Amino acid sequence: MSMDSRAVVVGAGMAGLVSAIRLRQAGMDVTLVTQGIGGIQLGQGTIDVLGYVPERVLGQPLAAVTAYGNAHPHHPYAILSADDVRAGVEFLRALLPDTFVGDLERNYLLPTAIGALRPTALPQVTMAEGECTPGKQMVFVGLRQLKDFWPELVAGNVARTELPGGGRVSTRAAWLDLPARANEVDSTPLYYARAMDDPAYRKRFVDALRRVVEPGETVGLPGVLGLADRGAFADITAQLGQPVFEISTIPPSVPGMRLNDALTRLAKDARVKVVLGSQVLCANIDGGRIRSLTVGTTGRPTEYAGEHFVFAPGGFESGGIELDSYMKVSEPTLGLPLWVPEGDLVVADHNAAQPLFSVGVRFDHDMRVLDTAGDTVHENLHVAGGILAGASRWQEKSGDGIALASAVRAADAILESVQNLEGARNA
Amino acid sequence: MPEPLEYPKAMLTRATLDACIKCTICETACPVSAVTPLFPGPKFVGPQAERFRDGESVDHSLDYCSSCGACTLACPQGVQIAELNSQARAVMKEDNMPLRDKLIGQTVLMGKVMTPFAPIANAALGNKLVRTVVEKTVGVHRDAPMPTARLHTFQGWMKKHQPPASPRTRGPVVFFSGCAGGYFEVETSIKTVEVLEHLGYEVIAPKQGCCGLAQQSNGLFDEATKSVLKLCDQLRSGGKDLTIVSASGSCAGMLKHEAHEIMGVDEEKLHDVGTRMREISEFLLELHAAGDLPTDFVRNDITVPYHAPCQLKSQGMGMPAITVMELIPGVKVIESGRACCGIAGTYGLKKEKYDIAQAVGQPLFDMVKEKNEGIAVCDTETCRWQIEKGSGVKTVHPIWLVHKAYGLS
Ligand SMILES: Cc1cc2nc3c(=O)[nH]c(=O)nc-3n(C[C@H](O)[C@H](O)[C@H](O)COP(=O)(O)OP(=O)(O)OC[C@H]3O[C@@H](n4cnc5c(N)ncnc54)[C@H](O)[C@@H]3O)c2cc1C
Ligand code: SF4
Ligand code: SF4
Repeated sequence: MSMDSRAVVVGAGMAGLVSAIRLRQAGMDVTLVTQGIGGIQLGQGTIDVLGYVPERVLGQPLAAVTAYGNAHPHHPYAILSADDVRAGVEFLRALLPDTFVGDLERNYLLPTAIGALRPTALPQVTMAEGECTPGKQMVFVGLRQLKDFWPELVAGNVARTELPGGGRVSTRAAWLDLPARANEVDSTPLYYARAMDDPAYRKRFVDALRRVVEPGETVGLPGVLGLADRGAFADITAQLGQPVFEISTIPPSVPGMRLNDALTRLAKDARVKVVLGSQVLCANIDGGRIRSLTVGTTGRPTEYAGEHFVFAPGGFESGGIELDSYMKVSEPTLGLPLWVPEGDLVVADHNAAQPLFSVGVRFDHDMRVLDTAGDTVHENLHVAGGILAGASRWQEKSGDGIALASAVRAADAILESVQNLEGARNA
Repeated sequence: MPEPLEYPKAMLTRATLDACIKCTICETACPVSAVTPLFPGPKFVGPQAERFRDGESVDHSLDYCSSCGACTLACPQGVQIAELNSQARAVMKEDNMPLRDKLIGQTVLMGKVMTPFAPIANAALGNKLVRTVVEKTVGVHRDAPMPTARLHTFQGWMKKHQPPASPRTRGPVVFFSGCAGGYFEVETSIKTVEVLEHLGYEVIAPKQGCCGLAQQSNGLFDEATKSVLKLCDQLRSGGKDLTIVSASGSCAGMLKHEAHEIMGVDEEKLHDVGTRMREISEFLLELHAAGDLPTDFVRNDITVPYHAPCQLKSQGMGMPAITVMELIPGVKVIESGRACCGIAGTYGLKKEKYDIAQAVGQPLFDMVKEKNEGIAVCDTETCRWQIEKGSGVKTVHPIWLVHKAYGLS
């Protein structure tokens, strides 16, 4: 890779981090600019490829990706193929070995913190025992000082759910009275997770757990089983001698935090230059190409020049797309053309998919942005993640699959273009 | 100019609090709430409590915020949490400012008083009994890191110093030493000037006072505003439109954004100085990006633990020192990954916060102890003192490595 190949990536969510790492691993000089920490910890810390179409997807999520894309021409999966999703997921799995279980041949069905059964392609290792199979005996254990996890609620809802192939899980609820820190009566999953990093605390926790757990039970706990100490979960399981699993709580989830920390660390260690806390304000464009991005650093704005740009600012939830009081949507940073679905953007039914969330940019298979006529907007601008048009990521449980597939595609399209250029130079 | 405390009362940064979506990401970044349940964390004392303040203080736990700014950096929505906290604290402390907080903001005074008596001052500060008396009377913790006084000041050196005989090919720059760089960390200031001169710059170092950062972080906005504006005049006297280079990571931030964002100082001279200010590694990296930095460095096979100070990270420019140091063949940097060393300016000096500051710094000290090959690196003076005291490892400014690599030491 030639030294003058500089890439600038915008956004530190799943999409931005993954494409930055991939470009850097190929030898590029990569700067990642992000206003804040990305959204990985706002999710559950699982890798969701496709969970609802709108029926629940259980077997073969990749086949479902192909079928869903074929049926919905505006959806990202109409352009990103099942192979792209596989490439994205496998790249992440190689970056974070021993983190996930799952083989993309089926979705797992795991209890949420309110006891619903949620499909996901790759749970973390710490969640795998939560798989619901007929006749399984589960005990959900809450902590009195943690108000984000009510074991009766989880146990009750799981118990009354008929499993897809028939049958039920038998459940029970129990409580521990164990503050995360001395005298703390109202704590958060974060503080419990930090306490669990301490082997002495883990021992006290397991001692308390032993008193409420019965033989033969699989133990469901709030997602707090260690933050920095990646051995915490294995230690707790080994000490207890019974299967244990974590359930992610409301955002920010600890399992998501672990993923975010690990990917950020990987990016920094690989010498992606991470610029945290500054917003990209606009682009300087010349001859159909972006030359640099203007970044609102303190003191005065700074120009980040590059040959290639990956834009992964997320969707509405991260400020990647804005809606004004006249219901007009816009992409505030680069002013990219948006695809907007027909009809009302917001519908009154609370449970329905909100069309607003499918607003985003249209793109080709090299992740270049297309305008309404279908022409490339900027030759060297690639997009990835939540900014892409056509998905209802929360509802479909497709956000991670889209982010990973598009991030790897964007990086590979850049690498291919550089190779082509170098090939032409050498010829 | 509004009255200094009128501004935080009117709270311009309040506008950003409506952008808060309660995602709680900032809580995951706060180093203080991580180590003590006395502090409920940025979301609670920041955007949440702010809605109830209406000019009055509602929650005194706010005083435990160290103003490290980690929360503001982490917030994906651009809420200026740390800035809100600093303003709210200034209002809270307005009527009962401890004498101690007024004194430790006086960095220049301390340096001026200590320099002529350096050996005596150092001995006194090393004396347990003296420190115990200081803790009881003034409230500065007996074990808190204290600077080592020097027998000469940076200005004294600069007056006698002869620039190299080679022609000044790159024109003039202004050097901003900061008061710690003027009185205590004289060595770092000298090395910075020598590197700049080696590159061919003519270095101008006008007589200069304090930026007021320590006063600002103690809520003394009135005094801090006077200090920073006076400093702007002094730095501007070095020459119009010249780049101003600083080797004091945190003080550069005070001029770039904190004086304006936190205290609402809105004078032309501050904007003028703020836009011209470059932290030294930032400056060298800009030269490198433009192809103007000679990299005929002497090899130095060393792995260094590096900690970017919170107030350097707050400048939103990433960590230029890592890239600069790794331009030197053989240098490998290990970044601490920690938000803050604990000291946060003067926070960790205070007796009621000392233990918290040590707990904040502990993982960093451990990392430095484990990874160092003789030295650690950090861009701000007070943080270096804290790391050195906590880890027992000599801690230097990144410019020391560059200075050596150019064969200057
Ligand atoms: C509460 C919540 C729950 C979710 N649950 C699920 C789920 O269960 N399953 C699922 O599949 N998906 C879920 N999603 C969606 C999923 O998180 C996203 O689809 C996916 O993570 C998108 O990642 P991204 O990298 O594109 O963007 P994000 O993670 O949103 O990151 C965007 C980044 O860009 C930065 N940024 C934005 N604008 C600028 C700018 N101008 N300059 C600099 N930086 C900028 C932001 O600071 C941020 O770091 C959920 C999302 C939320 C908010
Ligand atoms: S990170 Fe920002 S948006 Fe999220 S809770 Fe904190 S202040 Fe609010
Ligand atoms: S400024 Fe630092 S100590 Fe204060 S709330 Fe923010 S992260 Fe916590």
